[in-house]
This record gives sequence, C-alpha cells and structure tokens, in this order.
Amino acid sequence: MQAKIQRLLPFFTLALLFVALTIATPHFLTKVNLSSVARQTAVINMMALGMTPVIISGGIDISVGSILAIAGLFGAMAIKSGQPIPVALAIGIGTGFLCGTLNGLFITQLRISPFIVTLGTLGIYRGIALVVSKGLPVHEIPASFSYLGAGTLLGIPVSLWTLAACAILMHFVLENTKLGRYTFAIGSNESAAYYAGVPIKFHLTSVYAITGILTGLAGMIEASRLMTGQPTAGQGYELQAIAAVVIGGGSLRGGEGSVAGTLVGAFIIGLLSNGSDLLGVNPYWQQVIIGAVIIAAVGFDELRKRKLSTA
Amino acid sequence: MLLSLKGIQKSFGGVKALRNGNLEVSEGEVHLLMGENGAGKSTLMKILAGMYHKDSGEILWRGHPVSFSRPSEAAANGIAMVHQESLLAPHLTVAENIYLGREPVTSFGWVSRRSMIEAATRLIADRGFQLDPNARVENLSPAGKQLVEICRAIAQGSSLLIFDEPTSSLSDFETCEVFRIVRQLRERNMGVIYITHRLEELRAIGDRVTVLRDGATVHSGNLDELSREQLIQHMVGRAVDTAYRREPVPPGEVLLRVEGLSRGMLRDISFEIRAGEIVGLAGLVGAGRTELCRVIFGLDAAEHGAFQVAGKKIVPKTPREAARAGTALIPEDRQHDGLALALPVSYNVTLPDLEHVSAWGVLKKSEETNLTTTYVERFRIKSSSPRQLAGKLSGGNQQKIVIAKWVARGARVFLFDEPTRGIDIGAKQEVFEQMDRIARSGAAILMVSSELPELIQVADRILVMRQGRLAGELPGRTTQEEIMRLAGFKSFPEDRAYESPSDSEKA
Repeated sequence: MQAKIQRLLPFFTLALLFVALTIATPHFLTKVNLSSVARQTAVINMMALGMTPVIISGGIDISVGSILAIAGLFGAMAIKSGQPIPVALAIGIGTGFLCGTLNGLFITQLRISPFIVTLGTLGIYRGIALVVSKGLPVHEIPASFSYLGAGTLLGIPVSLWTLAACAILMHFVLENTKLGRYTFAIGSNESAAYYAGVPIKFHLTSVYAITGILTGLAGMIEASRLMTGQPTAGQGYELQAIAAVVIGGGSLRGGEGSVAGTLVGAFIIGLLSNGSDLLGVNPYWQQVIIGAVIIAAVGFDELRKRKLSTA
Repeated sequence: MLLSLKGIQKSFGGVKALRNGNLEVSEGEVHLLMGENGAGKSTLMKILAGMYHKDSGEILWRGHPVSFSRPSEAAANGIAMVHQESLLAPHLTVAENIYLGREPVTSFGWVSRRSMIEAATRLIADRGFQLDPNARVENLSPAGKQLVEICRAIAQGSSLLIFDEPTSSLSDFETCEVFRIVRQLRERNMGVIYITHRLEELRAIGDRVTVLRDGATVHSGNLDELSREQLIQHMVGRAVDTAYRREPVPPGEVLLRVEGLSRGMLRDISFEIRAGEIVGLAGLVGAGRTELCRVIFGLDAAEHGAFQVAGKKIVPKTPREAARAGTALIPEDRQHDGLALALPVSYNVTLPDLEHVSAWGVLKKSEETNLTTTYVERFRIKSSSPRQLAGKLSGGNQQKIVIAKWVARGARVFLFDEPTRGIDIGAKQEVFEQMDRIARSGAAILMVSSELPELIQVADRILVMRQGRLAGELPGRTTQEEIMRLAGFKSFPEDRAYESPSDSEKA
C-alpha cells in the first residue's frame, strides 16, 4: 500500500504544483496561459514520449535533439520547395524514422552501447543538418503550416491533440502489444529474453525507430511553432526528455517506465518553468530547481525500491 | 571459546529474518553452518561481520561482548569473510588486492610497491599456495580469487574466517584445493565458519555443524553423530524421502538425435534421446556439458555434425530457431538467463510464446492471465497472483516458472542444466516430479547435473563426458564411483569422505 502511494508520488507532485500555482498567481489558471504552456511543452513532451520505450528497453538516445533539428529542417525545406504539407510532414517524420533506425542498427549490429552510438550520431545528424542548410535557417514558409504548432481545434491547441493521440497509441503499444512486452522483457533482462527466443536485434532496432518517428514529429511541431527550419534547433532537449521519463518513474537500468509517468514528468518540468516565469523567479534559478527535482524524484524512487527489496 | 552468538534477532521491515540465532565456534575448528535458502545463515554472518546491525542478542568474541558497526571494525578484531561473489578489484594485482587499504608506505607516504610485493610473496610461499603476486586478479580462476581473499584475511591477522558457499562455482579439483586450504587454516588454530548447501562436502571438511531453520538455530553438534537423513530433517523440518527413484516409462520415438557434433572443445558427439526418457549428462566442470546444451539450443553454432529434433533436421543459429523446432533450455544461471525478475510471473510464463496469446501483434490479456493461472496451478507455483513479480518468489518457485514457460510453449526436447542449483531440498523433489511428468507426457529430457546422487535418482541412463567427448554411457542404476571413473576424476579428497555413509549403503 505504502509502495503504491510512493509510486503515485509524481502524480501527487504534479497535482500539488498545479494547485499551488493556482493559489500563488491569478495569471496561472487562465486559458491563455495554459494554452501557451501546452504549446511550449508539446515538443519536449513528444520527445519524452519517444524516449520512453528506449529507456524501458534499458537503452538511451541522446541524439534526439539533433534528430529534431534535421527532421524539422528537411520538412521545412520540403514545404519551401512547394510540397504540400502532408508530404512535408511525411518527409520530416520519415527523416526521424531513418535516423532512429540507423541508431538501432549501429547498436544491434555493431554491439556498441546506446550511449556511445547516439553520442556519435548526435554529432553526425547535427552536422548533416548544418552542412545541408549551410548553417542558415529556412524561412518564408507558407502560413498554413503554422496550424500544427500554433493552431487550435475546439479551443484546444492542435499540438496538445497530437500529443494526446500519440500518448494513447504509445500506451497501447507498450501495454498491449508484443512489441511493448518484448521491450519490457529486453530491458528487464536481455539475456533471459534472448534465451526465451525473443528476436532482440529486430525489436531493439524497432524501438529506436519509434523514438525517431516521434522525434521527427516533434521536429515538425517545432518548425511549425517557430515557422522556420533551424539546423541549430533542439540543443539540450535530449536531456529534458530523459529527465521527464526519469521523473515519471522510468529507470535507466531498464524494465521500468510508463507513458503516464513520462507525461507527468514532462508536465512537472513544464509547470515549474511556467510557474517560475509567472512568479518572476530568475530564469537562472529555474535550472537549479529542475535539477534538484530530478535528483529528488529519482532519490525517492530508489528509496522505495530499496525498501521493497529488503522487505 | 573463540566466538559465541546468543539469541540474535534481526528484522527487515516487518519480516523477521532471524528469531533466535545461536552459534559457538572454538579455535582450530571448522564449523559448518547449514540451512535452506532464507533460513538466516547469511544474515547471521553479516551481523557478525559488521554489515548488518542486530536488533537484540549477544556476540561474545574471545569472551567479551562486542558489536561491530562496520566491516572494518570486524576485520580489525580478526573476523573476515570470504564472499560468494568475489569482492576483489579485478584490474589490480594479487599483491595490491591483498594489501588494499593497508598498503605499506615509505617515509614519504608513498605506496612502496616493492615491500608490498615482497610481503605478499612471503605470505603466499609461507602457506604453500600456488599464486603469482603480480598476476592481475581478473585473470585468475574462481578458486584463485578465493585464495586472494583468504590471503587478504590472513594478512589482516584474522583469527576467524567465514566462507560463504565457497565451492558453488568451483570445479571438483578446485574444491579439493579449497578443502586443503581450510584444513590448513584449522591446523594453524584458526576458527572457520563454512556455509554450504552441498551435503556431499560435509564430512570431507567439517568438525561441528549448526543448522538454522526459519531464522532460529534448531541443532548444533558434532558432525559424526548425525546421519545425512537427520541433517536434512533438521534443515527442512520434516522427514524427506531422499530415496526417491523415478520409475522409467517405455521409451517412444527418437526426439533428439545428435550425430558427430563438434564445436570448440566438443568432439564428435553422437547420442539420441527418445520420448519419455530422462537422460543424465555427467562430467567434471569443464568437460563440456554446458557447451553441449548451448549448441543444441542454438546459443553457439555447431562446426560439424547434424541434429534432428522430433524427426526434423535442424541446425539452430539462435535460441529462437531452436525453440521453434521444439527445444527448451532451462539454464544453469536462472536469475541471469532464465527470468526477468522485475517483471510479473505472467510476463515470464508467456514470453517464449507470445504468439499464442496474441493476434496481429496485440496481446489478449485475459487469455494470458488464464494461461498463467493454469500453469501456476499445474506446477504448484506459490505466487499471490499472475501479476506478482518473479523476483519475489523463492528459488524453487522461480525454477518452476522457467520450466512452466517451456511446457506452455509445447517444447518436446528439454535441456535441464543443473536444475536443482540453489533450490531447497523440498523444492528439489518437486522439480524432479515435474521432470517426470514432462517425460511421461511424451517429451525427451537431457539433464546436466554435478550432483551425482541426483542423476542416479532421476535419470534412466547416464551419458558421461570427459574433455569434450562422450566417454561412455551407464545405466540409471549405477554408482557414483562408476560415473567418476568414466569422467576421469582422479583424486578423491583425503579420507574418502566425499560421499556420506548412507550413499555407500545404497550403492
């Protein structure tokens, strides 16, 4: 029972934060502010969603910031060259898929650790984006493209609808499909999964490809929000995405994590930074606060597990 | 009296790990500490070594009450532990490990490598150990690593050494070596506490024995006043029928045929197993038994030879292909290769055959739960629900999950690699019964075991391996001596006490 309460800790924290900000400032609980929070966090949240299966599988992908940039750039270039928006979207998402698949192939075929592979591709993908764009952002995109990142549907930001749809799909994949089950099994004990006949290489590659797809979509949302394709976009986003998963109960040792947890973690980070903005907290201090929250969240989780294992 | 522990109690959370731990050790005595998994042996020893704090009770060390709050305090008082998993720094040399944390220093405060190596060489030579002080520890055998831990304890001036299942990962030759060293320590008047699971070792080494059950000391006394059966009864709390013998069934069609198999050390191995048969596979550690299972299960590729599973030719390159053909491996290292401990029982049971409980890649959760419940009941797995984490179950119940998941997969050829390692005596019996049921239902079983009495109990016939080859085949009702002769086991431990009296009567 106590363990259950502790596992729900991130949810309580988010609720508490929400209530506290509502009381602390009248500007928080307004449609304008909440919409802007949703838009600002949509990109990171989408990346965190993509990061979740990778972390559950016991891996990590630190190249997602670069994937976001290269996918957004290629998508923006496609629009500028006159392609219709759906085709541009497919190009952006497809770029993410290719980058993720490549990560997965390097990891499974060359047997290099995910951290090292994605450390390498972090540079490679970013470099390609800079080379292709000659370091210059892609401007002059048709205004209709802004719908994805800045539009609303039924009064709710389109990016929030997109995130919700992806979250539901991802939750279903992780909890109710073979792919999701294999992801947990590989992350919990790769050797036992191999002995049980799980095709490890294929599934791990798929997991990184999925991360790439969602990151590619995040890149298109970012491009739409800023109405540019920036080769320098998304620097440092990978750490925020990882932080969201970890605050939400994901374990870097693998085998643990959930979509709900990740979203809660991502929104905690989002609310912390929005709240500090509204309350006039020095933005430099925001980094300190978020850093402390990461350590506190993981610290509590470790305490919970240690209690479970000695009992 | 060197040491006496009186009425030690210890709880973790709400669970009482120790209710009444008592133990007395004198100088120059090898004291065996026995009990099933979870009986409290390790907890008692960790309290003694300063790793845990006791809740109540008394520790008398050389007649004075003591309580160590840190392992370093226990070490300073002369109590050292040789661990199951080596706690050495693998990249350092033998000498550096022996003096780790207490390096001899020059007057400048620098570590003096030369005097350290000299001291280590003297220490090793003095004891007649075979050990190079300059060797890197990672290159040593498991026995070599234990030797380094023992040297470290001696260098610390320990007068009581605790061995925690020292031989569980050693070959028979290395086991003899450890026995020799333990005897030597006894001759030098040190006290030794020796935790073991292997009943076969007892009389080769121990003087007195203390048995723990459910956190309390239930027996303490001289070893030679106790029969094997009495000892088991103390450990389990009831009489256990160790005279179990499987009734063979008439063999059916050939399910596993291996012809001229070679790979690495394995040379030209041919045999076949029929439906309904349990065939034992004996041999010394390193004779190639596990290697053979690995090739049949597709973990390693065969270089030459062919095999057939259930009449179909197959050369599996991955466990997936082997499993498809109907082969199952119950691996030796259950926790590392057999189970995802942090996942629910149901996830583990259905993992090899998720296709069976899914359609178009989507899992049918209620079918999965039903299937799991069926197998939990059939195998009498003690778990509160299919959602319970596998890691929360006892070793015996974990092993039953590993077996159950392959039965659920419908495997026809089962390879059991040391199926009773690390499980309690009562649970062993259940594993044997499950193996018997699997064979009776028309499957073929190959059982690797280092416990010769178990092989003789369960197997219909026994294949013996020696240096990568099949040295011969024996009928099930053979003797340990016969198996060891074929396996090339040369030197018995001194005083021929490797087996207990009751076994020789049976033979």
